[in-house]
Amino acid sequence: MARVGVFVCFCGANIADFVDVPTVVEEAKKIREVKFAIDYKYMCSDPGQQMIRDAIVQHRLTSIVVAACSPRMHEKTFRKALSDAGMNPYLLEVANIREHSSWVHQKDKKAATDKAGDLVRMAVAKSIANEQLHEISVPVTKRALVIGGGIAGIQAALDIADARIPVTLVERSPSIGGRMAQLDETFPTLDCSQCILTPKMVDVASHPYIELIPYSEVIELDGFVGNYKAKIRKKASYVNFKSCTGCGACWQKCPVKVPNEYNMGIDKRKAIYTPFPQAVPNKPVIDAEHCTYLLKGKCGICAKVCEKGSIDYTMQDEIIEREIGAVVVATGYGMWDAKPYEEYGVGRYKDIINSLEFERMVSSNGPTGGVPMRPSDGKIPKTVVFIKCVGSRDKAKGIEFCSKICCMYTAKHAILLHHKVHDSRAYIFYMDIRAAGKGYEEFVNRAQVETGAVYLRGRVSKIYQKGDKLMVRGEDAQIGQEVEVEADLVVLATAVIPDKGNPALARLLGISYDKYGYLSEAHPKLRPVETAKAGIFLAGCTQAPKDIPETVAQASACAAKVCGLFAGDTMKKDPMVSTVSREFCSGCQNCVKVCPYQAIVTEDIPLGHGSKEMRTVAKINEGVCQGCGSCVAICRSMAINLAGFTDPQIINEIVAI
Amino acid sequence: MDYSKQIQDIAAKLFADGKIDVFVGYRMNSFDDNQIPVVITDPKEVAELVFTEKSVFNLTNYLKADHTRNKRVGLVVKGCDSRSLNLLLTESQVKREKLYIIGIACEGVVDDKGQKMQNCVECIVPDAVVFDEMLGTPKGIRDYIVNADIIELAGKGLVERREYFEQIFENCIRCNACRHSCPLCYCAKCCIDQETATIYNGSNTSSSAFHALMTWSLHLAGRCVDCRNCEKACPSHLPLHLLHKQNEKVIYDNFQNHLAGVEEGDRGAFYKYSLKDPDDFIL
Repeated sequence: MARVGVFVCFCGANIADFVDVPTVVEEAKKIREVKFAIDYKYMCSDPGQQMIRDAIVQHRLTSIVVAACSPRMHEKTFRKALSDAGMNPYLLEVANIREHSSWVHQKDKKAATDKAGDLVRMAVAKSIANEQLHEISVPVTKRALVIGGGIAGIQAALDIADARIPVTLVERSPSIGGRMAQLDETFPTLDCSQCILTPKMVDVASHPYIELIPYSEVIELDGFVGNYKAKIRKKASYVNFKSCTGCGACWQKCPVKVPNEYNMGIDKRKAIYTPFPQAVPNKPVIDAEHCTYLLKGKCGICAKVCEKGSIDYTMQDEIIEREIGAVVVATGYGMWDAKPYEEYGVGRYKDIINSLEFERMVSSNGPTGGVPMRPSDGKIPKTVVFIKCVGSRDKAKGIEFCSKICCMYTAKHAILLHHKVHDSRAYIFYMDIRAAGKGYEEFVNRAQVETGAVYLRGRVSKIYQKGDKLMVRGEDAQIGQEVEVEADLVVLATAVIPDKGNPALARLLGISYDKYGYLSEAHPKLRPVETAKAGIFLAGCTQAPKDIPETVAQASACAAKVCGLFAGDTMKKDPMVSTVSREFCSGCQNCVKVCPYQAIVTEDIPLGHGSKEMRTVAKINEGVCQGCGSCVAICRSMAINLAGFTDPQIINEIVAI
Repeated sequence: MDYSKQIQDIAAKLFADGKIDVFVGYRMNSFDDNQIPVVITDPKEVAELVFTEKSVFNLTNYLKADHTRNKRVGLVVKGCDSRSLNLLLTESQVKREKLYIIGIACEGVVDDKGQKMQNCVECIVPDAVVFDEMLGTPKGIRDYIVNADIIELAGKGLVERREYFEQIFENCIRCNACRHSCPLCYCAKCCIDQETATIYNGSNTSSSAFHALMTWSLHLAGRCVDCRNCEKACPSHLPLHLLHKQNEKVIYDNFQNHLAGVEEGDRGAFYKYSLKDPDDFIL
């Protein structure tokens, strides 16, 4: 005979103001199986929990109902109280009389009380059918996969590897470094981006716990937290990295010229190339789309000049498989194409560039040797107009969100411009200055005071050509007048958008993404690093626009999460998973179709005892199953049951009201 | 419509070539001019095979039986039968490579009194949709017809409809013949018989029959092909088609004219996701 204890919480005034708690207790006492019922001001407090622990022992209770707030809040707290009293924690049922009753029926105390009574009756009935459940142990493969070799991926890989956990770092381009490698100096301290990044890149290459797979992409991820299997396609580089010394003879002689992605297409690279001098690994790859030999079978100059004979035109893409336990996604960002801003003449006027192009120009290893130049005639610009929020915060033409970093880098650009061209002046059209961050406000002030950058609050309405100048017409809202600036160069702070491949990658990994293509975190405030899929974490701009310090912090947070996941040899998991009764399963495989976690596979079992004939039944992988119950609902044979939510439990609940 | 000779020839050839172990077809009843299904394992019995407008039963029901399981089977299917076969194929109950299917471009079958069956009058897919060999001239897909009894049923209010069905199901004796005759009821142990499913248990009270039949109809919603094996099998002559046709109409209207089993790989309306699915039930 079941002996149920009912504990009703006032939740201060939260519940008690709208639900007559003593009445609920009296109602509960009327249920035959309830042997003990009591109320208390805060059940979750230590004295409240002590009441539960004492009652379990004194009244020999077999299951517990706590009528309080949402189980999302305190189910764990009360489960712990049960196990402290020597009871199986899964014999607990929480009746949510706060969110489900007091908060939604504030106008009618009687109705709220009646409903609370019903909820308690249901929970009691369900708890009678509760079974003892035990946490599931899942073995863990202690290897992390980091997707993306920008600063986020680099930092995450280094931090994880420093904890002596092997890391596989996959980078799509021939070298790690990402966007940060393209930057000149970094706000707010103006230290050289390359100088602080390249040591980390070298660390990655030389770290004994990091396996760097450049020029490759993840194409498949199977399995579940702690036990993923990843397939990585290593693109053919046509260069044998083992024998190549990185001397550079090949790309110096290569006759094919291709727009250089590293320099935002401002200059040209060769068909065989290393992206930039500090590249890691510092080995060239052949761009198969442009190499004359690979396209037409003629040329072969690089093979002729290579003293080591490292060029191998027959190389094929290679599929690498790795067993991993966790994934850090750090695919970075791209720049929004400002085409919709027709009034700016984007695409028509050569002297309108975006901020990343400007960044390459002022960079000392850039295509112009660190001096900004007008793309049209190569002259050094004296008056440069920077326009912020191009695409960002623009629902009509661009994207609703704030790209976050543009205020700061535009201030930086003003300072850099002043450093490179002393007699120049920067005009900055802005909507707001968002400089929240350590030393950020000071930095913007520095741009205004030191370099004399003119900040004009207002939007630009039109840009047109006058002679070799660009006339920028806009509004200065502070004086309420139209202003016109005669500019040599216009730099657009275009919106930061997620990597184009994000939706495809998200589908491949089984995680979600938002309407812009940013990958979604599990909770915007309390779980900003995790995704909804256990064991997959997000670092850097793949989740939302953010600056370098934030990216590094998030990458390190990912590393901490991965290390936490790998702390034991096995992982503990809630036992609320589905199980298949093989004798009832008819093998229709509808559950396989509906499972959103790919947790269900099929297996062949003998038709009968000792029979040689086989039949197919479903099999659930406990490690992957998240207990959503889709399979239970779809199963016509009622062969699947979800622990903690079995048919008898649910039917009891329904019968109770 | 008489394909007896052709079917006999094909079956004989299949046995002779060693392509099949058993053949499922129709033969004449021994005491009247009706037909009954027959499972032939001996090539000598091929001469018994017939196929006329009296070949009413859906033979795919016999694919779930022990004597055809894991064997190579030759089989005759009409339009509706082939649709249920399609569902059995996608639901992994039979393997296509084990079957030799003789499809019929059906002209409709008749009941005991020689009248054309109602489902044949309303038939939408007369031709077999999955076959190795086709007999007859295909007629293509016909328009969706809604019979008067379904329109009348849809016109009833919820309470009225429930009372109507409760009254009908009072005559149910819970013999489960409907379930056994249904080709798509192949579960190892029907949920209705499971100990945990207390609402179906007990005797043949109208309430337990009501729940059982409602559950059954919902498990067939979007899958039922309107072969009416169940109605032919029912000893109480319950109008079981009302349940299925009502569901079929709701699904046809709401799931982009979905008809169970017409397309290869179809799992039924509820297992198919489309962005066009109506979501007007979301508040």
